[in-house]
Amino acid sequence: MSEWPFLDIVVFLPLAGTLLIGLIPRARVGALRIGALAVTVVTFLLSLGILMNFDTGTADFQLGTSVEWIPEWGISYITGVDGVSLWMVMLTTFLMPLSVLASWSVERRAKPYFIFLLTLETGLLGVFVSLDLFLFYVFWEASLVPMYLLIGIWGYRNRVYAAMKFFLFTLVGSLLMLVAILFLYFSFPGSPTFNYQELLGTPLSLGTQRLLFLGFFASFAVKVPLVPLHTWLPDAHTEAPTAGSVMLAAVLLKLGAYGLIRFAIPLFPDAARELVPLVMTLAIIGIVYGAAVAIVQRDMKRLIAYSSIAHLGFIVLGVFVGSIQGMSGGILQMLNHGLSTGALFMLFGALYERRHTRRIADYGGVARSAPVLAGVFLFVALSSLGLPGLNGFVGEFLVLLGTFFRYRWWVVPAAFGIILAAIYLLWAYKRVFHGPITNDANLRIPDLRPREMVMLAPILVLIAFIGVYPKPFLDRIEPSAQKVVDQLRDSSALPEAAVGDADAP
Amino acid sequence: MSIDVAVFGVMFVVVLGSSIAMLFARNAVHVALFLVVTQIGLAVAFLLEGAYFIAAIQIIVYAGAIMVLFLFVIMLLGVDRREALNEPLRGQRPLAVGLAALLAAEVLYVAYKGSDLITTGGGSQALQDLNADPGNVKALARVVFSRYLLPFEVTSILLVVAVVGVMVLARQMSAISPVSARSGSSVADKEEAA
Amino acid sequence: MPLDIPAVRLTGIAPEIALCATALLLLVIDAVLGERRNRWYLPALASIGLGLSIYFATEAWGTTRLELSGMVAVDGFASFVKITLAVFGLLTVWLGRDFLVRERAEEGEFYGLVLFAVAGMMLMAGAADLIVVFLALETFSLALYVLVGFRRRSLLSQESSMKYFLLGSFSTAFFLLGIAFVYGAVGSTNLYGGEDGPGIVSSFMATGASDVGLLILAMGLLIVGLGFKVAAVPFHMWTPDAYQGAPSPVTGFMAAGSKIAGFAALLRLLDVTLYPLREDWRPLVIGVAVLTMVVGSVLAVVQEDVKRLLAYSSIAHAGFVFTGLIAANDRGVSGSLFYLATYGITVLGAFAVVAVLSGRDDEKVTLRDYRGLFYDRPLLAGALTLFLLSLAGVPVTSGFVAKLVVFGAAIQEGYWWLAVVGMVTSAIAAFFYLKVLVVMYMQEKETEDAERVRSGPLSTGVIGLAALATIVLGLYWGPLIDVAERATLFFAGG
Repeated sequence: MSEWPFLDIVVFLPLAGTLLIGLIPRARVGALRIGALAVTVVTFLLSLGILMNFDTGTADFQLGTSVEWIPEWGISYITGVDGVSLWMVMLTTFLMPLSVLASWSVERRAKPYFIFLLTLETGLLGVFVSLDLFLFYVFWEASLVPMYLLIGIWGYRNRVYAAMKFFLFTLVGSLLMLVAILFLYFSFPGSPTFNYQELLGTPLSLGTQRLLFLGFFASFAVKVPLVPLHTWLPDAHTEAPTAGSVMLAAVLLKLGAYGLIRFAIPLFPDAARELVPLVMTLAIIGIVYGAAVAIVQRDMKRLIAYSSIAHLGFIVLGVFVGSIQGMSGGILQMLNHGLSTGALFMLFGALYERRHTRRIADYGGVARSAPVLAGVFLFVALSSLGLPGLNGFVGEFLVLLGTFFRYRWWVVPAAFGIILAAIYLLWAYKRVFHGPITNDANLRIPDLRPREMVMLAPILVLIAFIGVYPKPFLDRIEPSAQKVVDQLRDSSALPEAAVGDADAP
Repeated sequence: MSIDVAVFGVMFVVVLGSSIAMLFARNAVHVALFLVVTQIGLAVAFLLEGAYFIAAIQIIVYAGAIMVLFLFVIMLLGVDRREALNEPLRGQRPLAVGLAALLAAEVLYVAYKGSDLITTGGGSQALQDLNADPGNVKALARVVFSRYLLPFEVTSILLVVAVVGVMVLARQMSAISPVSARSGSSVADKEEAA
Repeated sequence: MPLDIPAVRLTGIAPEIALCATALLLLVIDAVLGERRNRWYLPALASIGLGLSIYFATEAWGTTRLELSGMVAVDGFASFVKITLAVFGLLTVWLGRDFLVRERAEEGEFYGLVLFAVAGMMLMAGAADLIVVFLALETFSLALYVLVGFRRRSLLSQESSMKYFLLGSFSTAFFLLGIAFVYGAVGSTNLYGGEDGPGIVSSFMATGASDVGLLILAMGLLIVGLGFKVAAVPFHMWTPDAYQGAPSPVTGFMAAGSKIAGFAALLRLLDVTLYPLREDWRPLVIGVAVLTMVVGSVLAVVQEDVKRLLAYSSIAHAGFVFTGLIAANDRGVSGSLFYLATYGITVLGAFAVVAVLSGRDDEKVTLRDYRGLFYDRPLLAGALTLFLLSLAGVPVTSGFVAKLVVFGAAIQEGYWWLAVVGMVTSAIAAFFYLKVLVVMYMQEKETEDAERVRSGPLSTGVIGLAALATIVLGLYWGPLIDVAERATLFFAGG
């Protein structure tokens, strides 16, 4: 164990980096880029320290600090990582330098752009490491603002509408969560505290639990997003600039799933158990609906956005299915989806920079002029649709396996979703990169530049690595996953009726 | 008891009626006169409550001094000369002269008799009743200068604010256009009323 | 027979006296020295007066008693509000100085009226008798009516002053009627009662709780009068017009000051004096609170003028403070105080930015004038963003904490549904704050300014201070909430 508070440094380094960026004159775009890249790379390197020092065999929170913050209200600054948040932190720090690379073409108003991007990183990291509900909420909402500005300023034509929708959807959910947090705070029998680990034991009646669970669930379900609440996502994804889409898909959506795992289930296990069928139904609907709608999209970014809905459905399914395979698979899938969808957005962003259109029909035959781009795209698409040997397969297989153990028949629609994924991704690939060249501009598309290769290579390596050898990842996930599964399955004296009923069919 | 109710009823009608009439009157002088009627009606209300001193003050200060000031201001600002010439009530002027003469005679008489008028006879009795120990003036003084000392003093601040406010507004009114000159008088009204 | 003159101790109203004396001195000095080009001594003197009042208010901290025959309460609550008001006053004086210099309309009366207004508001905070509440209300209202009309060459300003005055006197009439009814119902107007005479509640209890109907009616009338001052729906009609017409620094002062003064009186009246009758007044106040939150938030969405927008936002905020008032517990009262203090600073900061940007004659205040502001003047836009986010209740700002504490208090008291209403309306409200952000960040400037208005040094200072306070109180708010909590422990008699 190192004495160095790696975790806190990693969280706040990007924020400190904004000061550095602030010092650079706004005309020196090159220096701004390099500065942002340097800050994010250093953050990533330091976050490797977290990975090194992480103790594999335990489900406890590690490497954190705990300092009193506002003792009058029982608020402390408490951080820590476990197997779930570790990978989320790593994913964020890993993707951030790549997002900066993907933003190389941002010339307009580059200074505030990089400042907001770095602020966003601190907000996201903060959410993953907070173990105090107040602190968590602060980061949770604070990460909204930079994302809102990123979409709204540097997005495409409909950006203002998309940014507004994104902000308001999320805000309504979060405010309901805030009420639930406060309710929980005042229900705690001991001296008032927002400390997550202490609040875990709060005795609550089932009715109260149900209400509070729904309060938290409202917030997380919007973020995930689960189906009736998903409409902000296609807009936000489509209109956001490339780096924004990458961070949205790869990290922001995971906040929802992470919140379910970290807060909604452990704090209100009885209510969660009772509502398993509901959540699973929503997840399945998300899988099938997202995939089906993705097939008919004409806009490439919208297609990827809908594919995210389907993938996130898988993750929620795994989390709520109540078996260790499902839970670990879900968590691993969070990582996988971040990598592959992030890469898809980067690749398409690169393509967009060359052709300035998002319509699939405007492309065709791109592979002839940009073979490397096409190859990489295919590779990532295969990972996303779950080809064995690549990362997506591991996660989705584990989720299906876990589901099969507990709710046999639910596997059918879920597996159907995978087939649909193959259809929309491969079909889109075919239409963009092969087929007849309808537009001469497609003939002159330059292939991947070295910067873009550098940006994509680490992701490709990881995709292959997780696909072949996921053990180091699963080893760290499993203890924590097991803990949550136990909470979901038999945490209290309540009869197993709810689970038993769901088991019966 | 019943006479109280009857007086109250009349007072009620008069006060309310003249207040409403004040709102609809078009002539500034009429407005001021209706206000006088309202104030006198309120004085009657105070009398009904046995607050003789306040009733008198109400008439002397509000119906008397302040309203006369109002009328002066209105006159100075200039009532239309044509209005002064036509006379809706025939014989108004001679009547006014006659009443004024009567008032002057009354004042002269009182001045001639001097303090005898109130220190002897029924007047003396009434005055003594008024000044009997828990009487009006003393009771009021006791309350105002002891328990309600602070509110009493705060009122003076309130008046200072009102005066300063009038000064500011008057200066600004003259700084702008003649359009707002009309509302100038109403602003003065409001400060006085406060 | 001799009068028994009561013991006159002035510690209770020392801050007010300091302010009034300074104001008079200031008016005299201005009259004596006449029209000079640079009358720097006026704001300096005003600042000294406000500083003195802060000193006196701090001196009174920790004592809990009634003074001047039970007319004023000297307690932590009053001290807290008075100090807050003095700070608002300081910010207003500094902002006003820059504004007046820019408009070439510097007049001693401006500072004098601000000081008188602050004095009236302070008296409101300490008032322990409805008569004093009424006089304090009148004093600061009168000063505000005039201040609203302080924009020369602007008919809009005169008009809004007139409107504000008319509606204001209407509401004061309600308040006065309420006092009369209270007196009729229980035979006392004192909030606490003591050796000098019985209080409202003790008299009420003595009469055998028979006339509760009349008392509730009276309470309703009092709430109308005070609700007007804090801009609660349905007594809010004046707010948008007065906010729009008033000079921007005055608007900020009005938003910050009359809100805290009005709520101070409401808190003392409802949460202390009438606490035993809380089940009777709660339905009424809950109705007002819900209406206020909903109407304020919804109507703000369609505004195009920044000052009107902030006016509706101020209405919505009154509704949020009401939730703390309704909770009526320690956290509710201290939370409301915290809310009002932080809201005041934030809103003053916001109006400071508006004042700087509005240009000569204070006229560039529509959303159109804010297009692309961030790229033109990043620091001002950044500060305004911070204030707006604070008003919207986004974390890391004081506005978030304020919402947290008042909604927390409501939840603690079992009114979680009220908190849900508050949250939903906050989300609606967020929409229009975001609208301003959209304009500032996501739209392009249309035309270049002919003349670029500079932010005066004092305005810059005020904006900086307000921004700093908004952030610091959002991150490290423990000490202030602690002070607010201790302030409510020292409620005289309660």
